Amino acid sequence: MKKLRIASLLTLALLSTLAHADRLDDIKKAGVLRVAAFDSNPPFGFVDAQSKQITGLDVDYAKELAAKLKVKLELVPTNPANRIPLLTANKVDIVLANFTITEERAKQVNFSIPYFASGQQFIAKKGTLTSPDQIGKLRIGVDKGTTNEIVLREKFPTATLVAYDDTPFAFTALRNGNVQAVTQDGPKLIALLANAPDKDKYEIPPFSVSDDLIGAGIAKGETRLTEFVNQTLRELESSGKAQKIYDAWFGPATKTPLKRIFKIGDK
Amino acid sequence: MTVFGELLAPKYLVWLIQGFGVTVVLAALASLAATALGFVLCLGRLARSRWLAWPVAGYLSLFRNTPLLIQLFFWYFGSTALMSEGLLEWLNTPHQLDMVVFGIKWPPFEYLAGFVGLTLYTSAFIAEEFRAGVGGVPAGQVTAAAALGMTRYQIWRHIVMPQAIRIAMPPLLGQYMNTLKNSSLTMAIGLAELSYASRQVETETFKTFQAFGIATLLYIGSIVLIETTGQWLQHRRKLIGAPL
Amino acid sequence: MDFTVIANNFSYFMVGAWPNGPLGGAALTVILSVISAIAAAVIGFILGIALAMTRGAWHTGLLLFLGFFRAIPVIMLIFWMYFLLPILLDINVPGTGTVVVALSLIGGSYLAHSVHAGIRSLSVGQWQAGAALGLTRRQVLWSIILPQALPIMVPSFINQWVSLIKDTSLAYVIGVGELSFVATQVSNREMVFPTEIFLFVALLYFAFCSLLEFGANRLALRYR
Repeated sequence: MKKLRIASLLTLALLSTLAHADRLDDIKKAGVLRVAAFDSNPPFGFVDAQSKQITGLDVDYAKELAAKLKVKLELVPTNPANRIPLLTANKVDIVLANFTITEERAKQVNFSIPYFASGQQFIAKKGTLTSPDQIGKLRIGVDKGTTNEIVLREKFPTATLVAYDDTPFAFTALRNGNVQAVTQDGPKLIALLANAPDKDKYEIPPFSVSDDLIGAGIAKGETRLTEFVNQTLRELESSGKAQKIYDAWFGPATKTPLKRIFKIGDK
Repeated sequence: MTVFGELLAPKYLVWLIQGFGVTVVLAALASLAATALGFVLCLGRLARSRWLAWPVAGYLSLFRNTPLLIQLFFWYFGSTALMSEGLLEWLNTPHQLDMVVFGIKWPPFEYLAGFVGLTLYTSAFIAEEFRAGVGGVPAGQVTAAAALGMTRYQIWRHIVMPQAIRIAMPPLLGQYMNTLKNSSLTMAIGLAELSYASRQVETETFKTFQAFGIATLLYIGSIVLIETTGQWLQHRRKLIGAPL
Repeated sequence: MDFTVIANNFSYFMVGAWPNGPLGGAALTVILSVISAIAAAVIGFILGIALAMTRGAWHTGLLLFLGFFRAIPVIMLIFWMYFLLPILLDINVPGTGTVVVALSLIGGSYLAHSVHAGIRSLSVGQWQAGAALGLTRRQVLWSIILPQALPIMVPSFINQWVSLIKDTSLAYVIGVGELSFVATQVSNREMVFPTEIFLFVALLYFAFCSLLEFGANRLALRYR
């Protein structure tokens, strides 16, 4: 049985190499790994005020991948809505931008094994949102092209959704009172709040409406590249580097201390 | 990605049609308001008093020479800092419109900001088209009318304005088409018009080609409709001399 | 209002991450504008002259081509060229290139009509006189028609170039790091200064467009 699987895998790999040049080879040949990362979502991906470069947790993983391939890393800034089009239009090789793994998306792109876990939560002015029952009556800011938007529409069809290009836009709309809550992955909201100059006005109610696993997005059918990313992620966990990356952005000494509940390989 | 694949489910077509409805209504309302405002601005620009003409000239140049996207960002995200808390809250709470006719609901702030932004931007261009129209009326006619003893108001009302509006009509139609296309930028401030709807459909279905294809066709179709209507009106006017 | 946020991020607004990263900000806006303006002028001239010189099916085809680019919203064209053309035609244009191509096609389509109108505004007698002198149509166009038609077209060119500068702001939707894009990045990071940031950016665009308008009008006057 095992032999058969290996054989079929080999055939598949061979077929895909025959069909088109393999992306992993293309990357090595070009000497550049193109990764789409967020530019406005600390601590996953954001433009650092001092260095003016995109940095963050996702970017650290991108750097590890490029280093292992011994190629240059080229970061392409993206907002949530552009992530899948960037992959399908072959503008980038990998998307590392807090990319939630879903079945529907998996039909369009390959996903690596998850390297992060979070749940969809809300941020609101203090006292406006205490239980999920209230969600259906509120105007809620979401990001275009996120699973948050789809989940909300499914679970709370009576809520009014307003979609923005990126989370900070939605947060500005919340501050201005145009929406009453903003929904996003919990860790992203915690970081958003930690960086807000007026943080004492808002809160993140302690409930979540979904559990999300975050993975790297890779162009559909790029089996070898996907396997390479998986392999690298597992190595980063076993060598302790994944923990280091996590601690750099969510460790006790950071602005956003958060217990690590998920290790690469758990799921 | 499949290039076309199965057709979009009816639910998503409805989203696109609704978005198109918002686009058309927004563009129509903004065009109407911008025409009225543009006309007044044109009068101000041509006023003899420089206390009126200069500020208006400043307005025209400021609104014509900055990108609409930035203006929309300013009105939606930035203008709130200039408002009092009370006004902001008032704008954000639904009000019963006193003259409720069709049960119109109080528009959310993104609709207000989108409408105001689009109107102010377009009015500057329309004012300039009207001004060009006035400039197109031969000066001799004004002198002749004055010689006939007509007052300044009469000259404006009966000699200059009718001709100026006729001259300005084709470029005005061009401005209305621009307004329809420009309304696509309001998606950046969360206004659920056609471009916004096409992105929503793409998010849920991943059928990028169909979502953008249908939206593009709707835009082009409505532009073509405005253009042919304009040409038909022009043609008819030439043919039977009917007023526009 | 607190404009220290502008001072703190001034170089990012002006040149992006350069020299430690790609050139961006206002500098990229200027570069995108200049290249698109030149390309739009070239396209406008070629297609405008073609409109004036063609009849029948070619003419209609050209009108449809120009009509398409005049009818499609800029933002939609940028989406199509950036995300969908690579899949349809298997060509890959980077973001900056996409913006330049989209803007010059749209600008060129508008200018083609202005060039055509400028050529047509001259009386048919001029063509006939040229022909009577034994000149070919091309010679008449170059030495008689265009020199007279050019001054008529100048205002349209200036208007179109101003539009181009403003439309570079739409590069924001595909993540090209020009002025509007870096402005939203800074606004997103600093969170509470959208008023100051967008006012400042509007002022920069205003300066660019007004300078162009003023300078081009001065030049046009001198050479009239």
